[in-house]
Amino acid sequence: MSASPTFASLVPEFDALRRRFPPGFESSLVLPCLRRLQEAWGHVEDSDIAALAEYLAVPRVQIEEALSFYGQLRREPVGRWHVEVCRNVSCSLRGAETLLERLSSKLGLAPGDTSADGRFTLSTCECLGSCGTAPVVLVNGVYHENASAPEIERMIEGLERA
Amino acid sequence: MPRIVVDGRAIDAAGGQSVIEAARAHGIDIPHFCWHPSLSVAGSCRVCVVEVEGRGLDIACNLPATEGMQVFTDSPAVRERRREMLELTLLNHPVDCGICDKAGECTLQDYHYAHNGAASASGERKVRATKFHALSDRIVLDNERCILCSRCVRFTHEVSKSHGLGILHRGDGSLLRETGDGAFARDPYSDNVLDVCPVGALLSRSSLYRARVWYLQPTRSVCPGCARGCPVDLWHRKPEWRLNALDPAKNRAIVRVTPRDDGRPEGPWICNKGRDLAALFERPRAMQAMLHGRAVPLDVAIDAAADLIDSSKTRIALVSSWASNEELAAFKDALGERFTTFVKEDHRPLPGETIEDDFLIRADKNPNATAAAALFPVRGKPMSAAPSGQPPDLVLAWGEGFDARGLPDGARAIVLDAYGHADHARADVFIPLSIQTERAGHYTNFQGVVRAFDACFDKPASVADAQELFAALAVGARVPA
Repeated sequence: MSASPTFASLVPEFDALRRRFPPGFESSLVLPCLRRLQEAWGHVEDSDIAALAEYLAVPRVQIEEALSFYGQLRREPVGRWHVEVCRNVSCSLRGAETLLERLSSKLGLAPGDTSADGRFTLSTCECLGSCGTAPVVLVNGVYHENASAPEIERMIEGLERA
Repeated sequence: MPRIVVDGRAIDAAGGQSVIEAARAHGIDIPHFCWHPSLSVAGSCRVCVVEVEGRGLDIACNLPATEGMQVFTDSPAVRERRREMLELTLLNHPVDCGICDKAGECTLQDYHYAHNGAASASGERKVRATKFHALSDRIVLDNERCILCSRCVRFTHEVSKSHGLGILHRGDGSLLRETGDGAFARDPYSDNVLDVCPVGALLSRSSLYRARVWYLQPTRSVCPGCARGCPVDLWHRKPEWRLNALDPAKNRAIVRVTPRDDGRPEGPWICNKGRDLAALFERPRAMQAMLHGRAVPLDVAIDAAADLIDSSKTRIALVSSWASNEELAAFKDALGERFTTFVKEDHRPLPGETIEDDFLIRADKNPNATAAAALFPVRGKPMSAAPSGQPPDLVLAWGEGFDARGLPDGARAIVLDAYGHADHARADVFIPLSIQTERAGHYTNFQGVVRAFDACFDKPASVADAQELFAALAVGARVPA
């Protein structure tokens, strides 16, 4: 594994991004920069907030607002396997609530929690844009469509052995 | 200058004015929550809805006034939409007016009575949120009462520029919060959010639960905290609601201070020091006249002071930069010719206080140094020697900040002060004075703007009013100097 990247190591990418926006639109860069930071180390560190505010010269509050508004952005690390269950209308109608309960008891985790060994995080999420194949479960960003409880449980067992 | 018609009344709107601004300038108040005359347009509360002929419903805060526009602020369609918007605003608002400090001056309460009045149409449980969140050590936030109008957030972005507040999360989980870096706690103007809040969400921790607003009355005043001299209202108990039980001091207490909007270009804002004037005024008072530290009746002390003035030759006066224009003029008229007069700096910046900034706060922490310097233009070190070269044999020190150690050998001292100080006992004559809240007068600020203040309370009988005192000291002069 390579050494974890630092904020400074991402600045060249941010600079490239910045050139795609007209001057004075620094606040529009908050979101792509936060996505890139999360992609780099799984979540957004508190120190990244101050660093990004300084880099973009935007008030810190704007970054905190964006971070809390978007459920996809995280301020805490997640486990090795991040299991997310969509809880919006289509998935709920197609049994997402039961699915979430089964996953919760299978993993011994309440939604939002990470297992003590750091292997699993269980979350709910908002619409994944795949209502036609509801319910959808996301595992480390990979879609599992038309998810059924037994199938997802088998997959979890596979991950537990992995 | 576009002419628009509001509810059948033709009004001339200034160029660039929105409908809500034009209407307001002509005395027509369109209901609003998120709009504030000194902040940017958010357009989120939708309560200022109006009907425009040929265009339908629109929000007056974001609608430029254009020539010939026919605006209706109370048509059936407007009334219905406004009622619906109020219903939405109240969806998660608690009905705890009975224990809310804002009750009685709450816009939401007023609008509900005026424009809705109906019980909630929703059977859903209201969203529960934090009732007591400390935004800073000065301000407590009730998230259930917050209607997310964002006025306070815009205040920190546009006026105080601390960027210390934001609305986190989304939907009915949205929460007003301070940033993690403590910017709001450091904002020297933070308490203005108490006034811009249209509901009881932001509350002062210093006046929390101290009084219902309808027991209080405002008295016009001027903040003495610095040379800006901001116009303020001092709120204290109405005489008809005076407390006969409990501590009688509560009847003479300043419960809160709010800015008084006199249309000045700086806007309707004051700094936090101005909010804390109660603590400044209510410091331990000097209430007893003294001769060499021995308590005497006030008139005995006044006679003794007059005798001292008569019997001395080289007299120096240090006048107070906290004195009103009237008091300074009274001193000049009565005693000005007999004293070489210097202006004293009564207050200096306190440790931790904001010294000066590019908004309101001035480095001179006295309200009337401008008027005092205009009346008494002598410069130089007062204690070393009078301009005649003779060391002074009498020093009259008026106000706080007098250092008795600087007194020349053999000189007598008359000290006039409103607040208690151990040095007073060392003065040959000490005469206690009234404070700003016990008299009326004017201050002249550093820009030359003269502002008036009125008395909140009667002066205690054992202290003198400076304006009358100087006349008495001059009359007491039995032997011409």
